[in-house]
Amino acid sequence: MMRRLISWMLYYKGFIIAALLAIIIISLYVSSELAMRRETVVVQTGPLRFLSLAWQEEAVEAVREITGQWNAQHPEQQVEYIQGTWNSIHDYLITGFETGDIPDIFHYESAIIVDFALRGYLADLSPYITDEMQADVLEVDWSSVTRPSGEVIGIPFINESFIVLYNQDLFEKEGIAVPSFEEPWTWADLQEAAQKLTKDLDNDGTVDQWGVAMGLRNSANIIMNHSIAFGGSFFYQNEQGMIETRVGAPEKELLSVILDMLYQEKTMSPSCIGKSSTEMLPGFLSGKYAMVVAIGTWARQQVQENAPADLRWSVMPPMKAKTQAMGLNTQTLSIPKSCTRQAVAMEFISYLLSSENMTRLAGSDWMMPTRKSSLNDPRFQTEANGWQVVTKSAQYLSTGPWVGLPGYIEWKSRVANPIFQELFAGRLNLEEAAIRIEKESNSVLARYQVRGLKW
Amino acid sequence: MQISNILSSRSLKRRITRFLMHGLILTFLVYLLFPLIWMISTSFKPTAEIYSGIPSLIPKVFTGEHYLTVFQEKRLLMSIANSLYVGVITSIIVVLISLPAAYALSRYKTAVNKLVMGWILTSQIFPAILIMIPLFLVLRSLHLTDTLSGLVLVYVVWDIPFVLWMLQGYVKEIPIELEEAAAIDGANQTQIIYKIIMPLLLPAIGAAVLFAFISAWNEFFFALVLLKSPDLTTLPVELARYTGIEGQARTGPLAAASFIATIPSIILFAILRKWFSSGALQGAVKG
Repeated sequence: MMRRLISWMLYYKGFIIAALLAIIIISLYVSSELAMRRETVVVQTGPLRFLSLAWQEEAVEAVREITGQWNAQHPEQQVEYIQGTWNSIHDYLITGFETGDIPDIFHYESAIIVDFALRGYLADLSPYITDEMQADVLEVDWSSVTRPSGEVIGIPFINESFIVLYNQDLFEKEGIAVPSFEEPWTWADLQEAAQKLTKDLDNDGTVDQWGVAMGLRNSANIIMNHSIAFGGSFFYQNEQGMIETRVGAPEKELLSVILDMLYQEKTMSPSCIGKSSTEMLPGFLSGKYAMVVAIGTWARQQVQENAPADLRWSVMPPMKAKTQAMGLNTQTLSIPKSCTRQAVAMEFISYLLSSENMTRLAGSDWMMPTRKSSLNDPRFQTEANGWQVVTKSAQYLSTGPWVGLPGYIEWKSRVANPIFQELFAGRLNLEEAAIRIEKESNSVLARYQVRGLKW
Repeated sequence: MQISNILSSRSLKRRITRFLMHGLILTFLVYLLFPLIWMISTSFKPTAEIYSGIPSLIPKVFTGEHYLTVFQEKRLLMSIANSLYVGVITSIIVVLISLPAAYALSRYKTAVNKLVMGWILTSQIFPAILIMIPLFLVLRSLHLTDTLSGLVLVYVVWDIPFVLWMLQGYVKEIPIELEEAAAIDGANQTQIIYKIIMPLLLPAIGAAVLFAFISAWNEFFFALVLLKSPDLTTLPVELARYTGIEGQARTGPLAAASFIATIPSIILFAILRKWFSSGALQGAVKG
């Protein structure tokens, strides 16, 4: 009997293995789904867990110190500092939400926590926000984290925005006047200056000094945030109330400017196509690039720390298209819905983001604070390291139309970034890229909208 | 005359072949070693030189500031200790379980052997991300999340299939006559495994230990998700903290910490190197 069973099993081994595989896959799927649906009620005791993404030495030190001060003043409610990493935070949080084991307070960014809010993972912080904080944080920052229902999904505390770095010596050498807030540059002005600054210094037929550099490897963020000034929105509501993507004239303008600098005027190094903004910095420090366009405000720290003593550099005001508007992304602190101590977690956030502390946190990260009182701090009003230009640029910050759009993050990584890469690498022309973006975008967005996810 | 011509042409061909082979090996070595050398070089460069945009293999100015920074942060040493603990315990348990299992699979021909081997191969196709959530829930019910023991358990389960597969291949190569001779001399099954088979399997065990250790030493995702307490962080998770938003990194300290991270693997390889020597079976069976 046993022998017959074994010989039967051997005869059908392929089928048995396939069946086992199917059982495993189904059980993994079912257990994951169950885990996702289960309301995990874990009675939380002990210290509140606070996951921070501060990573620069000075910023880590600042967060640790402020947390230590809170712990000294609040012996009844301690906070445990956990240092997370930007590269792995998404996987960490997703698994944390789905298993119910998630820090009580976590640091991330507005564009991405929207997705968590749509899945119902985040606590509404609006009942806990003090009037003082409500009034002091910039309206544009609140709009990036507030749902139409009034729910607030995170407290914005640092603005990630873009700047243009320029080499003062090279500008002076070419007699190029530096733009001001009163007379900002248009993109045409930038192109003209880039042509003057692009040089073959040793007359060997190759360019040694490029007028402009721009990290184009994953450029969707840059394109989206800067296209706002041209009136480019990319996302529009159709007659049926569904969001769809359109790449019309306003969306194409910035793309055309970049293509012109790359291929017509040849003022932007082709190596920009495969590099990130960070990778532009060594070239800027060595004088290879006269300007670095659309780089984060944080880059100033790298420049200040690593620039040769004789490099004179500064920051110019936002470029003007139809307007000087510039999309922003804010770094936020959020509390998961599953946290049973939301009120006290929010108390800690309010403490961490008091005006004085926010000034310190933003300063240590070389980014713009979201509180008006912090922006007015003398630390951010100095001309040194471009702080004053950065702070004054806050008036042009704007919330992109994609905030709260279900599927935006997938759209950016699966559609926009790859197609922009192909466009800048010359494998697609602008019309082809526009058609592909519209076609591929709408299938991604439709998938999310069919699921009924609403901001 | 003709014979000497043929001989010299053969010898020339052999020389050319040897030269090409050596060239190929050298190219491969450079390809393998270059990133390591670059990392070491970067770890000794001042930050300004790293960002100068002028690549150089030998630092213009040597500095130990990055090593000082990573050791001052203290967490690196703690994470090295955690990774060592996890790596060593994992490799010991993996070998202790896999060795008798590999022996049984190779020597006892039962109807389920093929199914077991099929199952082992099948288990290798699941990516970590797919099993992460169920695994986390299972470990939490066993109170093993946020413990190094839980992480060791995961690594052991993760590594055993491959090590078992590797070891059973080696066991098959050992002549059965050796075991028969030992049995005639009165050795029992345990003695045969640990006194006859194990010494002959030293190169394979060395490879298995190294594989289990390095995979535990380098593993990132399980450690990231399963360990929450800062004191339990392992080295790969700690190293990730030197990188920031949009591809920024504290390159100097990262290179220094990464170099420190490679040292235990190099030491382990140096210790196990003699185990890898071949020819252990030479002359074991005559006639």
